[in-house]
Amino acid sequence: MRAALTPERYVPAGTLLFLLVLPFLLPNPFYVHIVVMMFTFVILGGAWNILSGYAGQLSLGHAAFFGTGAYVSMLLVNHYGTSPWITLWIGGFAALLLSLPVGFICFRLQGPYFTIATIGLAETLRLLVLHFREITNGAQGLTVPFKGNSPWQMQFDSKLPYYYIALVLAIAVLWITRCMEGVRLGHYLVAIGQNQEAAEALGINSAQAKRRALALSAFLTGVGGVFYAQYTYVIHPDSAFGLGHSIQIAMVAIMGGVGTVLGPALGAIIMEFFIQSTQIVFAGQYPGLELMVYGGLLVAVILWRPRGVFPWFDRLYRGLIARLPSPGRAA
Amino acid sequence: MTDNVVLTVEGLSKHFGGVQAVRDLSFQVRAGEILGVIGPNGSGKTTMFHLITGFHRPDHGTVTFLGLDITGLPSHEVCARGLCRTFQVARPFPDITVHRNVLMGALLRHPDPAEAALRAGQVIRRVGLEAHTETPAGSLTTIDQRRLEVARALATEPKLVLLDETMAGLNATEVGEAIKLIATLRDQGLTVVVVEHVMRAVMSLSDRIVVLDQGTKIAEGKPQEIAEDPRVIQAYLGKEYRRA
Amino acid sequence: MDLTTFLQALITGILMAGIYALVGIGLTLIFGVVRIVNFAHGEFVMLGMYITFWLWKLWGLDPYLALLVTMPVMFCFGVLVQRFLLQPILRAPDLAQIFMTVGLGVILSNAALLGFTADFRSVKIAYAEWVWRLGGVSVPVTRLFAFLGALLLAGLLTLFLRKTDMGKALRAVAQDREVSMLLGVNPERMYLLAVGLGAALAGAAGGLIVPFFYVFPTVGAIFGLIAFVVVILGTLGSVEGAMLAALIVGVAESLGILFAGADLGLVVVFAILVVALVFRPSGLMGAR
Repeated sequence: MRAALTPERYVPAGTLLFLLVLPFLLPNPFYVHIVVMMFTFVILGGAWNILSGYAGQLSLGHAAFFGTGAYVSMLLVNHYGTSPWITLWIGGFAALLLSLPVGFICFRLQGPYFTIATIGLAETLRLLVLHFREITNGAQGLTVPFKGNSPWQMQFDSKLPYYYIALVLAIAVLWITRCMEGVRLGHYLVAIGQNQEAAEALGINSAQAKRRALALSAFLTGVGGVFYAQYTYVIHPDSAFGLGHSIQIAMVAIMGGVGTVLGPALGAIIMEFFIQSTQIVFAGQYPGLELMVYGGLLVAVILWRPRGVFPWFDRLYRGLIARLPSPGRAA
Repeated sequence: MTDNVVLTVEGLSKHFGGVQAVRDLSFQVRAGEILGVIGPNGSGKTTMFHLITGFHRPDHGTVTFLGLDITGLPSHEVCARGLCRTFQVARPFPDITVHRNVLMGALLRHPDPAEAALRAGQVIRRVGLEAHTETPAGSLTTIDQRRLEVARALATEPKLVLLDETMAGLNATEVGEAIKLIATLRDQGLTVVVVEHVMRAVMSLSDRIVVLDQGTKIAEGKPQEIAEDPRVIQAYLGKEYRRA
Repeated sequence: MDLTTFLQALITGILMAGIYALVGIGLTLIFGVVRIVNFAHGEFVMLGMYITFWLWKLWGLDPYLALLVTMPVMFCFGVLVQRFLLQPILRAPDLAQIFMTVGLGVILSNAALLGFTADFRSVKIAYAEWVWRLGGVSVPVTRLFAFLGALLLAGLLTLFLRKTDMGKALRAVAQDREVSMLLGVNPERMYLLAVGLGAALAGAAGGLIVPFFYVFPTVGAIFGLIAFVVVILGTLGSVEGAMLAALIVGVAESLGILFAGADLGLVVVFAILVVALVFRPSGLMGAR
């Protein structure tokens, strides 16, 4: 029995196919880089979304998990020559371990208190990383020496392999989010985000659910950090662990639509498109302009579209699906 | 008689700041009955619920449910053991549908969301909310939000449910419907504790009544006995009952 | 390490605590009345610093005199922020309230970067080098003035809140919005007042430290974080709590720098916050 050829199936399949061949359609590697950055934002924003989007625990400290993944990976690669394919897991796991005390401290708090605590913890980590410069090389950051094309070391001459790695990771994060939506934890997180006390009264162990969501979120963010470090070959404490970075990560999901699977993907596209266009138009002449407009975008979204672009996209998508031919559907 | 008891509250006490909200409160709830809890405003009824269901820790005293000591357990554990409550001020999950609201409760006993969805549908029919299954809970009327509170609690398949002033602010017809619903729950095997100010409802529904005043129990017995108890009449100055 | 060094650190900490108190009071006032946590509060301090700097740079105005300009300007700014950015989201979910001021902070710090460049600025005034010697301890006069200025402003605010009708109305709205409305208070006006005052105090704090602190676009970040610690430790909404917490934070930071190193002062502060949150989540002044 053949699977029905309905728009609900072939549109996503077509999109995937498009993404697979996209690098060959783009004029030069710079554009491939842009898409890789988009995928990176999907990974980070999607990971953030799992805890903060669904359960409403708004973290502004996720840079800590990103930085942990990146630093752990780089240190292992530099000191022990460990393969980044392995440090992807170790870095993610290190971030997960970090999330345990973070959750213990922060989940006692609600609303803005929680957010402030996450900011404080990320900042503390940043300061500590700067302080212990014998290990971390302080403010100068860490670099991975480029060894030429060495797949086992996740180093490639061209951008293409990075593109596909990032694509796989991005799809993985979205797919994990979708799976989570469909199991009990996903529902429980939404309940907690709506009203934690009421959720508890229905037998929901909110502390446990939040810890699990945070662990997953931290792990994926750490993985994103490892990839990014491998892709850019360099990492600095201020950009990796900084509050600005945490804000950026959060904005991806907020602009796209928190608590939805595709929200982070939409947000990543908008974010990266926007960053690139300001850079092209102003060619770096006005430092601060880009971020300033960024902040303006966030304020605008909050004022007029607090649910992000997802509702609009959803309507558009459903309209499209309804209009497309459906050769496989039973009459 | 003791093998019939599902809930035992013994010597429960709690103070907040300088106020003694509940003082040495003791009573029992028997299987399959409807126990009414009444008392003037500020007599500690809601605090009592909070203490029993784990929202606050008692300073002294114990709560025993189905033979297990549940004193001081967090509220989600209390619910998991079969003791569930509704809130005086309804707390729906506002942005999601009625169905999904009830689903959240059903997931406790049915971790598979598909199974839980079916159960949620059944509970929604039981309380009469099918018409609003897909409505966002935040846009329901007050009485429907109350129904939703009850539905969510029922979805957790409790053995005992505590209803906190479910009928406050309802008109006469709505009160009648609520009375019928609660009686049906009892007939289906649920034990119910009802905190109410609406005297007509409490008097007609309850098998027994406990009266609180200033945080402690001043009387206990059948509705008729309570209505004639001079201590009760004095606590209320008789106004509430005669009004109903 | 001898007693003098310790006393020096202690005194520095106490003096700085005055500034932290001023910033914290502004933040706690905004939260207490409007119920929104202002994540851009550090940037309000930064704005005050830049206003003061440019008044000095362009017209030679003494930073302390400049307060007479800085504070009203910041007050108006706060009023505008409340009216156009915060009023629309008063009843919005946490996400909107948090990220609105986060976004504002990003706009402000980058606008400063864009407008004034990343250069570190400082003022050059005659008395910047004056030092008051007390035994072996040296107290820079500018820090002392900052402390006294902060104390004065905090005192004036407390008088305002306790003794004037408007101040009482402000406290009424903070305690119970509905009841205050029944008493004839206009909450919207009080919100404007609260944010205006909060911004003015933050701006004043900025102005007071310009004589001894570099001015640069991201300087707000430090003060924002410290303000959070002060306000949470002191219990959100409590002015007295903020003052007490500021003292603890100021001294802790200073001693932390002395014992752990200049770059770890803030870590000590956060450590205190964490310990406090674990053992007493609602802060020094207890549950609201």
